[in-house]
Formats: sequence, C-alpha cells, structure tokens
Amino acid sequence: MKELKFLASLWKVNLASAMEYRAAFFSQSIGMILNDGVYFLVWIIFFDRFKDIRGWQLSDMFIVFGVSAGAFGLAGMLFGNAFNLGDIIVNGRLDYYLSLPRPTLLHILASRAVPSGMGDFLYGFISYIASGQFSLDGLGRFVLALFLAMLIFVSFLVIVQSLTFWFGTGGTITGIAINAMVTFSIYPITLFNNTAKLILFIIVPAAFMGAVPAGFVHAFSWSSLGLMCLATVGFLALAIYLFERGVRRYESGSAIQIEV
Amino acid sequence: MKKYTAVFKVNLLNSLAYPAEIATRAGMIMIFMLVFYQLWHVTFTASGSLVLNGMTLRDTMWYLLLAETIELGRPRLAKIISQQVKDGSIAYLLNKPYNFLLYQLAGGLGESLPRMGMLFILGGALVWAMAGIPPTFSHWPVALFALAGAWLLHFCFNALIGLAAFVAEEVAPFEWIYQKLVFILGGMLIPLNFYPVWLQALSKSLPFAYMMYGPAQLFVRPTLQLFIQIIAGQVLWLSVLGGVLILAFSRGMRRLAINGG
Repeated sequence: MKELKFLASLWKVNLASAMEYRAAFFSQSIGMILNDGVYFLVWIIFFDRFKDIRGWQLSDMFIVFGVSAGAFGLAGMLFGNAFNLGDIIVNGRLDYYLSLPRPTLLHILASRAVPSGMGDFLYGFISYIASGQFSLDGLGRFVLALFLAMLIFVSFLVIVQSLTFWFGTGGTITGIAINAMVTFSIYPITLFNNTAKLILFIIVPAAFMGAVPAGFVHAFSWSSLGLMCLATVGFLALAIYLFERGVRRYESGSAIQIEV
Repeated sequence: MKKYTAVFKVNLLNSLAYPAEIATRAGMIMIFMLVFYQLWHVTFTASGSLVLNGMTLRDTMWYLLLAETIELGRPRLAKIISQQVKDGSIAYLLNKPYNFLLYQLAGGLGESLPRMGMLFILGGALVWAMAGIPPTFSHWPVALFALAGAWLLHFCFNALIGLAAFVAEEVAPFEWIYQKLVFILGGMLIPLNFYPVWLQALSKSLPFAYMMYGPAQLFVRPTLQLFIQIIAGQVLWLSVLGGVLILAFSRGMRRLAINGG
C-alpha cells in the first residue's frame, strides 16, 4: 500500500511536469496518434490487396496493433525510464536512487513519463474501436490485456538492460530490444514457424504484447488469461531478480549527478 | 570544398571507430528482413503464383533490403539540428568559416556511409540465404545513382524539420509524420507495385516515392524509362526542397537570438 502511494505521487509529479510544457505534451500526443494511424495504413493497403493471411484479417490487425500501441504507450506513461535504464546504469545515475529509502527499481522506472506515450495509449483504444469488434466486455478484456502486456514489456526491457551490469552496453541493445518487440508484436503470429513462435513466447516475448492479448480480447478464454498472468509473473520476477543481482555488481563512479 | 571533405572524413572516422557498435545496430535489419521474409513467403505461397504485380519473392526481398538500408542508414539530422537550435549551440557553428547546411551535409554523409554499408552487407547476407541471389551487378550502378539522390532528399527533409525548431517548441512529431509518409507513400514496407493504381499515382506525384521506391525498384527491375522517371523526379524535388531549405535557413537566421554565454 505504501509503495502504491509512492507510485501515485511519482505519477502525479510526472503529470505536473508534463503540464508545464503543455504545447509540447499535446503536440507529441496528437503527433503520435497521427503517426500510429499513418503507420497502420500499411496493413490497410496490404489487406486490401491480399485479404487474408493464414486466417488473419484486417480487423484482427486493428486489435493486435491496438494492444501493442496501447501497451507501449502505457509503459512510456507509467514507467518511462524503462526505455533508458541501461543509460542510467552506464552513466552512474543509480547513485541517486540507491541513496533513497524506496524500492530502487520501482523508483527509477516511474521517475519519468514519456509525453508521446499518451498518444500511443489513446491510439490503442481508437484502433480497438475501429476494429469493428467493439463490445463492453471486450473493452474490459482490452484494458486488462493492455495492462498485462505493458507489465511484460516493461519487465523485458528491465531484463535486457540489466545485462548492462555485466556487459556494459547501454542504448544499442535497448534499441534492438524495443525494435524487436514492436516489430514482431504487430505481425500475425501465424506467419511464423514453430521455432520462431517459441522465440516469440520465451526469448523476445512479443507474442505477449500482440497475438496472445489480441486473441484474449477477441474472445475470452481461461487459457489465454492464465498464460498472460503466468508470463507476467515470470518475466516480472526475472526482471526484479536480475536487476537486484546486477545492483550488487554496480560500482559508483562518484560522478556528480542532478536528477530533475 | 576541402573543409567539407575534412568534415566528412572526421565523421566517417568517428563512425568507424566503433565497428562493433555499427554491426550491432546493423543487426536490426536482420530482424526486419526475417519478418518480411515470413510475411512475403506466406503471401506468395498463398497466392499460388511465382510472380505478383511483376515481382517475384526474390525481387520483393531485395527491394525491401535496399529500402530498409536507406531508412536505417539515412541521416538522422533533424534531432541534432533542432537540439542545436534549441540549446543555442548553433551559434558555435555559425561563426565558423563554412556554410552551416553544407557542414551538416558533409557530416551526415560521413556518418551514413559506413552504417549503410554494414546494413546492406548484413541484411544482404540474410536475404541471399533466404530468398536467393542478389540482382545482377549491372543493376547496381543505376540503383546507386538513384540512392545518392534519395539520400539528398532525406537530408533536405531532415534539415527542414531540424530548422523548424526556430518556430515550434517540439519537432519530434514532424519527424514521426515524415518517417511514416516515407513508409507508406515511399513504398518502404510494401513495394509500390502492390498498391492500388490511384495510390501509386499519388505516391509518384510526391517526393517520397523518389526517396525509397525509386532506388529500390531500379535495383531489382531497372529500365531506361524508369531510370529517367526517377532521376527527373529527384532533380525536380531536390530543386523544390533545396530552395525551401535555403529560404527556411535564412529566415531562421533572422529569428535567431543569442544571449551571451
């Protein structure tokens, strides 16, 4: 409970900070909605020409794109530092967080919000509504799926960037991880063979940011929900474990850092 | 000219100083090509035809490789220039004895070349293994020529977006939209050949098709008519965008206020 209050305070501060630069916040949010919309035209053009790809049609793509964009945006809004944890570690900026009496990982992740995340988040809902499969119980499943997909995405980013403690690489590996997750999550999973599917469920868990939650939104099933919950707990636990182990290896450079 | 060659060399050497970094970044193209191959392999198989809209699977994959090489290797100057405008560091570049735009062009080229080379080699190896041999070597010079024009068009757009920081607080949304217009109207994710006829016509009446589709199509299926069409389009749009860029730069200079420091 105490940690939830702490999280709420951080999010409140992030929102206030974004509102200080309203023009930038709104232009980035609207720009991102347009960006996602134009990006999705690719699938409209593709399915206009080919109609069906191994059982996947345009309406399925709306949902998978919606879940993926929404989860990406939610991650940026709530845990914006998940995108630059590697840089924080490499640049010795962990010192600030380690010196405070709060859970380090949670504090780092929630200390920043990505303004354009709001655009992605809203686009997720627009895409779901545009799919033609909208229903009230579907909306409930969409919100739940979005939340679980976001947790898996953030956990994956933490896992990848915690490797920085051992290998010292920062931004490059993060860029690849984000690109791989986003790229694989917005394609029909039926395109991939069994080996590729195994990779998409375990190594780069893009299936949990696209196909699995999209299937759950399409129709409720205990197996999809169970799979997503299991994956969330598993990836979250691994993320926390790796980060905690990594912190033990962390050596401060005693650089003077200012966190604003 | 010598000073711009020197700027080009410095940026080139700077990029080459970290080959592992370039290779890792270039590894991204392998992810994309793998996904594209799965998509187009399934599409061609499902259609039961070896040729769709005049393209084979091999053509499509080599087209997409060149398009991705351009996109991932193009200059990323919009963010750099806008930052220079916003934090005032542009002042340190303006008082030097060179033209600001040519300085950015030379620097951007030095950074782009090794990246594009590595992207093409790594991505090409994978495409070769998956889809078959590359287009015959006689296609390469025309594609390379059009690639140079495409790069310059990307430079103009990037510089214009960067200079937009003189009037807009945040230029990132302009960059996203520009990128997505190149994705769609440039035919980066789906070759323009697969588009409806009206959309192909629309794309070819805008600059984006000459920044992506032109060189990629010349790489896989060159014809004299296509070559003339692409080069004429590039010259036209370079004249328009280059003119707008010079105008935007001179207008921006009038708005520039430097406060000590």
